[in-house]
Amino acid sequence: MLRAANISFAYRGIRTTRSPASAGRHVRNVVLNDVSLHVERGDLVGILGPNGSGKTTLLKLLGGVYSPASGTVTLDNRPLAAWTRRDIARRVAFVPQETQAPFDFTVIDIVLMGRFPHLGAFALEGPEDLDIARRALEATGSAPFEQRAFSTLSGGEKQRVVIASALAQSPQLLLLDEPTAALDIGHQIEVQTLLRRLNADRGVTMVLSTHDLNLASALCRRLVLLKDGLVVGFGPTEEVLTPDAIRTLYNVDAVVERHARTGRLTVVPIGRT
Amino acid sequence: MQPIRTRLVTTVAAFSALLVIALVVGPVIGSTHISLARVFDRSIPFADNLDAQIFFIARLPRVIAAALVGGALAASGVVFQALLRNPLASPDTLGVSAGAALGAMVAITFHFDFAFAGLPVIPLSSFAGSLCALGVVYALAAARHRGLSTTVLLLAGVTMTAFITALILFTQYLADFTDTFRTVRWLMGVLDIGGYAPVLAVLPMLLVAFGLFATLPRALDLISLGADAAASRGVNVPRTERTALVGASLATGAAVAIGGPIGFIGIIVPHMVRLVVGSDHRLVLPASILFGATFLIASDLVARTLFAPVEMPVGVITALVGGPFFLWLLLRSFR
Amino acid sequence: MRVVRSLGPAWLLAAALAWATTADSAGSPQRIVSVIPAVTEMIFAMGDGHRVVGVSNYDEFPRQVSRIARVGGLLDPNVEQILALKPDLVILYNTQTELKQRLDRTGIPYYSYEHRALSDITVTVRAIGARLNVPTHGEALAAGMERALASIRRLVAAVSHPRTLLVFEREPSSLRGIYASGGYGFLHDMLETAGATNVFADIRQQSVQASTEMILGRQPDVIVELRYGDILKKVDVARDIEAWNTLASLPAVRNHRVYVLVGDEFVVPGPRVVDATRRIAQALHPGQVR
Repeated sequence: MLRAANISFAYRGIRTTRSPASAGRHVRNVVLNDVSLHVERGDLVGILGPNGSGKTTLLKLLGGVYSPASGTVTLDNRPLAAWTRRDIARRVAFVPQETQAPFDFTVIDIVLMGRFPHLGAFALEGPEDLDIARRALEATGSAPFEQRAFSTLSGGEKQRVVIASALAQSPQLLLLDEPTAALDIGHQIEVQTLLRRLNADRGVTMVLSTHDLNLASALCRRLVLLKDGLVVGFGPTEEVLTPDAIRTLYNVDAVVERHARTGRLTVVPIGRT
Repeated sequence: MQPIRTRLVTTVAAFSALLVIALVVGPVIGSTHISLARVFDRSIPFADNLDAQIFFIARLPRVIAAALVGGALAASGVVFQALLRNPLASPDTLGVSAGAALGAMVAITFHFDFAFAGLPVIPLSSFAGSLCALGVVYALAAARHRGLSTTVLLLAGVTMTAFITALILFTQYLADFTDTFRTVRWLMGVLDIGGYAPVLAVLPMLLVAFGLFATLPRALDLISLGADAAASRGVNVPRTERTALVGASLATGAAVAIGGPIGFIGIIVPHMVRLVVGSDHRLVLPASILFGATFLIASDLVARTLFAPVEMPVGVITALVGGPFFLWLLLRSFR
Repeated sequence: MRVVRSLGPAWLLAAALAWATTADSAGSPQRIVSVIPAVTEMIFAMGDGHRVVGVSNYDEFPRQVSRIARVGGLLDPNVEQILALKPDLVILYNTQTELKQRLDRTGIPYYSYEHRALSDITVTVRAIGARLNVPTHGEALAAGMERALASIRRLVAAVSHPRTLLVFEREPSSLRGIYASGGYGFLHDMLETAGATNVFADIRQQSVQASTEMILGRQPDVIVELRYGDILKKVDVARDIEAWNTLASLPAVRNHRVYVLVGDEFVVPGPRVVDATRRIAQALHPGQVR
């Protein structure tokens, strides 16, 4: 469904040489270098890596928010550049790590904004749109907050509302940037369960970035391991999430074993290498 | 909560009604008592009909100018606040008022004396000054090739304001007593334009600006939550930001060219409107334009009747209302 | 008649002023610094201009002042400059308290000037004459001014005095920011002497910010605009008068009785008020005055 082929990306600005391949040449701050991956329909893929490895940037490239410096991202076998922004938005929704509302938007205001790709600048939401929004709120357990001001919600509640807003886009693909990073463990489990349910019951394809090893192992069926803008592993979770891989990514010794009670892969860090 | 369609119709209808009342009442009330019957009495020749003269020459242009300036400044306020993601932003934040002040000061101190396309020299210079300031700020913020950075916009705006203030102080040093007096008066805002020439001169700019504004409201909603989030929902962020900045610059520049840099409208009108209609820009923008017009007509009415026959500058009234309003907002937010 | 009758008490007042406002009753000052253009003109008109060693930055008249040192003005008197000229009398504004304090400390006598109505001008002339120890010069100048003004009044006594708006400030090429003379002050006195009735005579202040509505309400028959400071070419003046066409319904505009008078004699309340008043009278009553 979604394929990234050899994409590279750099931010304009500070001139540093990062990757060894370009040593000696003045390049811009290279964030991603020759990254390739693919996502099938119904997949639940995790992008795993330490801070600064380029996870958020990769997600934004996959969603068409940024354009790669080289290489192509294709959606349904068409390069993103050939799609209009609105067409992409009708299929792909992006959930940022944090959302701040500078104005007093209500929860339903925020969720209805997800209908923009289907309505455009001038069409007003009708009863069907309101219906879709309400169902999205229900799916994320946020229906009781409908009329509350977004800024008064807790971190977990906000995150669920933003996911609802992404669901209101009626997307086939959901991209989530560190969806549980700012949450406490209770809310983390809420969101985790929600995402698993959305993927299982509604067939929503998902790509999420995280640095939480256990979230990755619990939720994602496939993993992309990213370090310093380079892919160091890509494939099913059990195959890819090994102590060697963890050592490469984080310089940490860890034990990876199947948990007796949950049956899921669990990662327990032991110490720095 | 009612569907957006209903709310939009109700909002526009209600605020339009207020504006119509202001437009009708404004020219009738004033320091000289006039009777509507006499004003429209065709049997009296215009040269002998003082009531008609006052109505059509002194008051009507003034009320219309107030409506246009108030609407333009309020709309610019809404747009700047969305662009900068900050409800406390205003045209002043990006150096518009400072540019207008410098333009006027330079024209007054160096005794420019020309008119262009119906606009006398001081409003013209003021307008040029505000556009230059905005132009520099925009160029700085757009230099990053990936849409406008709000941080750079804000920093550039603050820097420009500081720099322009320094230039103003320098010009003030060169100015003599009369020049300084004239500048101070201009900066307080005067809507007594005595004719339609200044309004007609900037009407094309205002129409373009309002046309640009009409395309913005929903995009402003989305952009206010973050540029990348908006892009992921299908908004063309760079184009929206450019449209917003150009529209707001034209509207503010035109408003300043008519009446001088009248402060506070751009900040307090959007706030007042949001208290009533919520934060959806599709409601806030039209309501702010209508209420901004009404508000300035009312402020001008107070300015010219409070100490009749002496007229206060309208900027004094807007400041006297704006200050306490903000205090109240602040205190309210503590609860 | 009013002016002549006030001669006696004015003389006494002048003497009292001259005595009261000096820190040190010196004899005949020979090195005079005058920060006030009007007083500088008075001194020159009395024939004692050779005693002036310092003038304000805004002095333009008479021509001789171009060769005299400049010492600043009302807001920015250059104390160093003043002291460097070693004056034995400084003529300053009553409001220049800091300057007064400095002069007190250095023991230099000063004369405190205050400006009010037209009649105060001749009072000041006599007071200055006394202070300079040439009372006869002062008397001659003052009496001459009074006679000239009286004769203007006589010339226009018989004709009707039109309702006139006297504008001394407005924004170029527009009708914004109009300031007109109220019913008080030397502009008002000049106007009435020149044979007009001030439309704002009932407003007891020197300057009135005249809104469009106010001007329409008063329906002036004549509008006199005073210009000074800028050098205005005839064509600029003609173009600027067109701004008044917005108020075409005023009698003054309809009957083409809008006059622009250019010159700084209109704003310097010194000996040239006579010329200023005569020029206004000429504009208003061309048949009667010269």
